[in-house]
Parts: sequence; C-alpha cells; structure tokens
Amino acid sequence: MSLAAPAGSGSVALAVGGARERVRLRRRWRANAVAYLYLAPAAALTAVFVYWPLVASAALSFYDWNLVSPDRVAVGWQNYRDLVQSRAFRLSLVNTGQAAVALTVLTVLAPLILAVLVLQVTPRWRNVYRVVLFSPTVISMAIACAIWLWMFHPLYGVLNAALGLAGLPAPAWLSSSDWAIWSIVLVTVWKTFGFNFVIYTAGLLAIPAELYQAARVDGASDAQLFRHITLPLLAPTTLFVLLTTFILGPQNLFIPTQILTQGGPNEASNNVAYLVYQLGFEYFRVGYASAAATLIFLVFLVLTAIQFLLAERRIHYGG
Amino acid sequence: MAQLRKPLFYAALALLLALGRLLLPASAAEPVTIEYWHINSPTFGGPAVTELVTLFESRHPDIKIVEKFQPGVYTGLMQQLQVSLAARRPPAVAQIGFNLTAYAATQFPHVVLDKYRQSDPDFFKGIPDNIMALGLFGGKLHGIPFGVSTPVMYYNPELFKAAGLDPDQPPQTWDEVQRQGQIIKQKTGKLAVYLQQPNDEWIDQTLIWGNGGRPLSEDGKRVGWDSAPAVEAMQMWQDMVQKSKIAANLTWEEGIQAFLSGHVAMCLTTIGRQEHMRKNANGFDVRSAPVPRFGSKPLATATGGNVLMIFASDPAQEKAAWEWIRFLLSPDGATIWTRGTGYLPPRAALANDPRYLKPFFDQAPLMKAALDTFPYAKPWVSFPGSRGLEITKTLIKAREEVLEGKRPAEAILKEAAAQANTLLSR
Repeated sequence: MSLAAPAGSGSVALAVGGARERVRLRRRWRANAVAYLYLAPAAALTAVFVYWPLVASAALSFYDWNLVSPDRVAVGWQNYRDLVQSRAFRLSLVNTGQAAVALTVLTVLAPLILAVLVLQVTPRWRNVYRVVLFSPTVISMAIACAIWLWMFHPLYGVLNAALGLAGLPAPAWLSSSDWAIWSIVLVTVWKTFGFNFVIYTAGLLAIPAELYQAARVDGASDAQLFRHITLPLLAPTTLFVLLTTFILGPQNLFIPTQILTQGGPNEASNNVAYLVYQLGFEYFRVGYASAAATLIFLVFLVLTAIQFLLAERRIHYGG
Repeated sequence: MAQLRKPLFYAALALLLALGRLLLPASAAEPVTIEYWHINSPTFGGPAVTELVTLFESRHPDIKIVEKFQPGVYTGLMQQLQVSLAARRPPAVAQIGFNLTAYAATQFPHVVLDKYRQSDPDFFKGIPDNIMALGLFGGKLHGIPFGVSTPVMYYNPELFKAAGLDPDQPPQTWDEVQRQGQIIKQKTGKLAVYLQQPNDEWIDQTLIWGNGGRPLSEDGKRVGWDSAPAVEAMQMWQDMVQKSKIAANLTWEEGIQAFLSGHVAMCLTTIGRQEHMRKNANGFDVRSAPVPRFGSKPLATATGGNVLMIFASDPAQEKAAWEWIRFLLSPDGATIWTRGTGYLPPRAALANDPRYLKPFFDQAPLMKAALDTFPYAKPWVSFPGSRGLEITKTLIKAREEVLEGKRPAEAILKEAAAQANTLLSR
C-alpha cells in the first residue's frame, strides 16, 4: 500500500477508523459493564449496610426520639450543642485518646520484645512459648473479663495480694476513678497483644540470616544488630501493627467496659464507643447518640486519612 | 392417560391441602406461645421461674411459656425491652421494676389492665389496695404487682462473736452499725458492712427515705437529693467507706461474694436474695435484721420489686398473657415464687395460710426481718418523663462519686440534683 493515498481514501479510512473506534468502545463498554455487574452485589451490600446507616444516623442526629414513640421531634443542632457541653462526652474523648495511645505503645512494644526474646530459644521451646503467649487472644473477651474481675477484687484478688506481698499500695481497681480506665486497658492489652506477637514473629523470621552473619563478621554487637538490621527491616511490620492498633484498639475497649465498669465510677472509664451505646440504649436518646456517633466518625475519618498519607510515604516494601 | 392423571391428582391434592391450611383456623391442639421476660438469674429465683413454667404448662396445655432471663437487673431488662418494642417483637409479659413503671407507662405501648377489673373481679380479691397502687400511674392500672421486696441487713454471727459482740443484738441504728463496725474491724480485721451497689439506686432511695427525705418532691417537679436529709445520709455512707473505713466500696456481685465468703460482717441487700444467701454462706449460718434506722426517726425503706406488664398486641397472646399472670399470683404460683425468692406475696393473707406459705415463713427465719419492715415500705420512686432513665443514672453516678470520697457529698449531690431537675423539665 502506497503512502501517497489517492484523494477520497482518507474519508474511507476515517469511516473505517470510526467504525473500529465504535467497536472498540462498545467492547470496552461491554467489558466494563461485566466488571460493574460483578461488582454490583458487593457495592449494593456496602451501600445498604455501610453507607445507608451512616446517612440515616447522620439524619437521625437532628431529632429527639426514643426508638419507640411515634413522634420524632426535630431539634436542629441542639443535640450537637448539648454534646460539646457534656462532661461525659469530653471525658470519654480524653479517655479514648489516652487509652488509644497506651494500647498502641503497649501492644507494639510488648509483642516486639517478646517476639525477639522467643526467637532466641531453641525451636522446640519457641513453639511452647508461642502457644502460651497467643492463648489469651483465643479466649473470648467476656470470659477474659470474668477472670480479671476476680483478679481485680480489692479484698481477695490475686493482683492486690501480689502487690501487698511486694509492699506496694493496693488500688481499688474498678471502683477508683484513677485506676478504672487503666484496668480496662490492662485487660485489653493482655487479650490482644498475642495477635501482634504473631505478626512480629513472622516479620523477624523473614529477615535474611546472612545479614546478621555478615554484620557479625564485621564485628557488630547484639545491640548494633538490633538497631541497624532488625529495626529497619521490621519497619513495614511495625507500621502495619501501629496503624491497625491505633484505629482498632479503641474498639476493643467496649466489652471490658461493659462487663467490668459500665463506664464508671462516674464516667471515669467511659470511652466513645461505650458512650454512644449508653446514650442510645441506656437513655434511649437515639438522636443524641447519633450526633455523638457522627462527631466521633468525623474524628476517626481525619485520623485514618492522616494514617493513609503517612503509610503511602513511609512504607517501602521489599522485593 | 393414567400417566397424566397421576401427577394431576397429586397437584389437586396439594392445592386442596394448601387451601385448607389457609381457610381453616389453626388446629386447637397447637398451643399459643408467649414470651416472659424476667430478671431471675440462677442465683436469684431462676429455679422458681422454671418450676412455675412447668406447673403452668401442665395445667394449660394450650399455652407454652418461653421464659427469658434478662441480665442487668430491671434497667437491663428495660433496655432490651425498648429495643424489642422498636423491632415490634416485644415479649407478651415482662417484669418492670417499680423504679421504672412511670417510664414504661408513659413511653411504651402496652395493655392498660383496668378492663380486667370488670371482666375478672375474682382475681383482684385479696390483694390490698396499697399494694395494687404500686401498679397505678396517672390513675390507671398499668401493671400487676408481683415481686414485692424490702431491703434487709444480712449478717454473719460468727464475725460478731469473734469481735465479742452479741449476735442476737444486731445494730438497730446506723450509729450502732458504725460503733459495732469499728469493733468488728479492730478485733477481726474484716470490713463491717456492704451496702448493695448494682446498676440501680434502690438503697440510695432507701437511705434518703430513712433519714426523712424524699427522692422526688410530691409534685414530681424536683428531685430531693440535695435536701439536708439526703446529703446527711449519703455523707454517712461516704464516711463509712473513706473515713472510718468500715464499709466496702464494691460492685454488687463482688460485695455479695465478699459477704458470703466471710470478708464482710453485714450486707444490706434485698430479701429476694435470702434463698441464695442461706445456701451459699460459707462457714456460717446467715441471719437477717431490719434496715438500721437513723437515730430516733421511724424506719422507712424503698419498696423493691416489680409489676407484670403486658406488651402483647395480638388478642390470643394477650389472653394467654393474662392467664399466665393469673397463675403467677394464684395461691399455688405465689407459694412457689415466694419460697424460691423471698419476695413477699402481694396476697398478704397467704403468709398465714397453713396450706400455702405459713410453713415456709415458720421455718425461714431470714424472712422475719422483711415482714417486720413491710409496714414501713415507701415507694421506690420512678422518675417521670422521657429522660427518666437518665435521671436514675444521674443518681447512680452521684453515688459512685460520693463513695470515692474526693469531694463532700453535698457538692456532688447539689450538682447531680441540678442536672436531674433540668432533665425533669424536658
């Protein structure tokens, strides 16, 4: 075919090209339609069970309603105004923040240290330790709380007996406004650290042994190995553990709060998840509870967005 | 043709059966099933509920009772009930604590029971008016009083003996509790007293009534927690926990266990627990005394317990629910109920009837304290209005703060009362 095409053939080429384009578009549309069709069930479920409740809850936050009464009273921004002035809301936000930081530090540090230590022992004992350390994770949270309830007993609990032997003061754990929130954090850490422990163990085992051998040949000390090989190569694991713990940790507080203190004494151990439950299902102020839920959702949305940005920048996956 | 006829025949038969099922009423043999919600855990009257259901079903084969225990005492049951009402699947009958009847009567769709006064007058004979009044709100009958209880002071005679005190002379006033409590603490090293602290404010109201105060003003417009008698009573409780350190600050289950295992000498809780106390006291024979008085003031206690309310909307269910309530309050039902829990029978005469409860009262010495307290029973006030549950919780939170002892009771109760008064006006 000559490059100098006769006059008129251009339009033919265009027409042919247009037809091809249409076919291509139709094919692409068909391919996309199939993809959307495959996505539809999941998208519909997410819309119905995630986004619709979000919207409905936000709408409900402008009403005063008890779930049962036939009349809902529209109250405008009143629920939000009440909320920002409420001591319970303020305290539960502060408590949640403190608990989230404590949970993050403890359930990242403790598993890391334990994982490093466990890998030092012989493989046979290593498995024993792994089973023992992971077992709290497998127990149901309610049962764990029942066990801890008796350990916390101020008169004859194991915890205070041990503190007494050591000559330390014995707090009234669950009835003390200074200790109640930390008692709940303690139970939650004990119950959840096993999961991060397993992740750290896997992360440690993935570090190539040659790196350590080479460094040793160069005369590196144990501390240097940990500082310059273990920690940097564990960074992706650590970031994953940090992110999941900070966002999911506060949610783990609900069950121990419900069983051990009901948010008391006088809101001292309340947290945002439990407060929403209390407002909605103890006082039956559903609109007020929805307003709290909406505000808390916005707070967590911002935190999650920050985390995603950090994660995008900082994680360097090997391989 | 034969091949074609067979399927046709079966299809016609199936259609006929299906139509018959739709057109004919349900067969008489099929029982009506109703749900009954209660707060009776295995350690708090649960076995009596099972016994009642078994006996009732043997007498009424046309009704089946599904009994469901709801945790969290009356407040817990109320929460589940509100959710079930929102889902339009409420139980047919539920126990509503006296402290919550005003809330339930004003906020929940339910069956008003005045019509049964005409249709079933026999049922109401033998229940005193002052007891029936516990089911009234706004002049209408919303519930039938079922469990009626008073608080009593259980005590451990062994710890009294060990402290050199006479177990036949338990303290009659709070001053005596504190004086004898000091001796018990010094001589035995044990704590003297535990006042129950569940997720309700029954004992708090008992202390307020007992010192001559009122939990709620007569016109229902203001709470009375910041009045001098209320402040004085709550300050005394704080002092026993924090100053003289003779009283325990524990959750309900922790406190009962501490008493039963001999770590606390006295325990102020409901007579409804007498069976559990008697069976589980470890190493001593538990005894009971009336609630201590405040000096020379007359005894006054909040009346604990519940009414039975009907939430069934279907006529057949409502009929079955009424049958069940009739049975629970019948001499046979009340006998099982009182024996198994220690609740006082609404038909007071049964207590002296040798065919029913006289033998039980004769050989249940723990009950005497409750019978002695009964004439002094005051209402367990139910805070009215749509914020009633929040007001109750406000008093519970105030008590938690009082017992921690970081501020004097007066300051805490003033704040709590101001909050509650705002909620009352909503």
